[in-house]
Amino acid sequence: MSKDAAADAHAERPPADGVSPSAGSEASVVGMDYFMHLEYRELICPVVRRYSAALLEGRLIGHKCPKCGLVYAPPRGYCPIDVIETTDADEVTLANAGVVTNFTVVTPVQYYGQEETEPFAKVSIQLDEPGGSLSLQDVIDCPVDEVRVGMRVEAVWAPKKERDVSEITNRSWGSAEGSIRGWKPTGEPDVPADQVMQAGF
Amino acid sequence: MASTAAPEIAIIGYAQSPSWREAELTEPQFLFPVISEAIERAGIERRDIGFTCAGSCDYLSGQTFAFVMNLEAVGAWPPIMESHVEMDGAWALYEAWVRLQHGDIDIALAFGSGKSSPGAPAEIYPLQMDPYTLTPLGADPVSIAALQARAMLDQGKITEREMAEIAARSRASATGNPFAQVTGDFDVDALLADDYHTAPLRRHDLPPISDGGTALIIATAAKAKEVCERPVWIRGLDHRIELHQPGFRDLTESQSTRLAGQNAGVGDAKVDVAELTASFSHQERILRTELGLGDDVEINPSGGALAANPMMAVGLSRFAEAARQIAEGGKHRAVAHATSGQALQQNLVGVLEA
Repeated sequence: MSKDAAADAHAERPPADGVSPSAGSEASVVGMDYFMHLEYRELICPVVRRYSAALLEGRLIGHKCPKCGLVYAPPRGYCPIDVIETTDADEVTLANAGVVTNFTVVTPVQYYGQEETEPFAKVSIQLDEPGGSLSLQDVIDCPVDEVRVGMRVEAVWAPKKERDVSEITNRSWGSAEGSIRGWKPTGEPDVPADQVMQAGF
Repeated sequence: MASTAAPEIAIIGYAQSPSWREAELTEPQFLFPVISEAIERAGIERRDIGFTCAGSCDYLSGQTFAFVMNLEAVGAWPPIMESHVEMDGAWALYEAWVRLQHGDIDIALAFGSGKSSPGAPAEIYPLQMDPYTLTPLGADPVSIAALQARAMLDQGKITEREMAEIAARSRASATGNPFAQVTGDFDVDALLADDYHTAPLRRHDLPPISDGGTALIIATAAKAKEVCERPVWIRGLDHRIELHQPGFRDLTESQSTRLAGQNAGVGDAKVDVAELTASFSHQERILRTELGLGDDVEINPSGGALAANPMMAVGLSRFAEAARQIAEGGKHRAVAHATSGQALQQNLVGVLEA
């Protein structure tokens, strides 16, 4: 329904004058707006606290599974593949550069709360050794139609004083929001797309 | 009923997390050791599990698809066969129990987990009510339970002193439960001297707000006998639901509990112990009455939901505690009960035997 149509439907609602319209008539259908608001506040788990502290220092960290070698960023405290717990002893500092493994171009719809107005890209990045991958990252200094799988990118960190980890939560796996402003193309030759498209982690 | 003719299935492993007021760990993080412990206690390997069913509620954690994250504590690679219910883990157990009756697999994992601490239960729970009249009113579980208790008091089905006695007994029993949250010896007169929280309920009549998780492993008869020294047999399992609108039923009774109890075979033999999800003190009276549990039946030796109330796990914890009474406590026959909805709207009853 278009915005105008929705407004019209709203206008057709019967007045709240206590008079019941006859059953079955169009006017007998009464709509009701119900706005809800739920607020959640949770403790940040130890591994994410450590991840946030590292972001403020300008470092990305992860846990490297001692069994399969996969790197999880941020650390989760376990490897879900091998189902073993990981600890600070498995912590590794991650690279500041990597390759785009896939991307989505989002065309913003102006729903309530939407702040974006122009199409933008969100990319997944496979980081260089020791590995690890970040999803839903912003690309900067690169037109949306030039974003591609295989593109080499590097992190653009916010100046130390401007870094802010208040948006990092237990649920924002892979987010470096507030510390890394985005990823810009390095200008290096692309990695062949078929080499990175299957990268899951 | 079908439940009594079903193939024999037994609980072979169980584990629980502590019940925390506010857990620092994420749900998959605290589930991780719980599921591993249940597997270890069952004497099986993780890859032996043929079916997994989880119970949790995304509204509680405030994260869409939070239940998918919880699978990281199970291990889902190579791919596993799994399912999820947006209900207490006791209903996950029910699905796993039905699944085992297909006969093609012999071991299943059921678990339940929830973190109530991040949100405000009084704001979240009205969202499960009738959206036209009760949700906008903010009809929260404590208010509905207070109406239920008021109806019982008015009809002489319980007294405020008896409610306090139930709370005091639960908290005292819970002192022996390492997973419990509200424990200790309390004087009934002192409890009754408290102001009302939501009349006629005082704070002791309410469950705590809890975070936690519980896991159970069940197996078919042949497998259970092979891997487990003392399997705990599920002799009956049934669940029934009543009208959604609490004003349409007599809140002082619970027909669904009575029916589920009858179908599970509660009355077929003497019951030694019962673990009931009586989240509010007066509900224990309703459940005892409907299940026909007399004074000779030990009720909630764990302390029950008044001592530890991890939503979405608290019902499955009753099965873990009832199974523990048999496997470790030398009891012969136990009843486990779980509830869902408001004011005992939906009820699940299981009968466990040595």
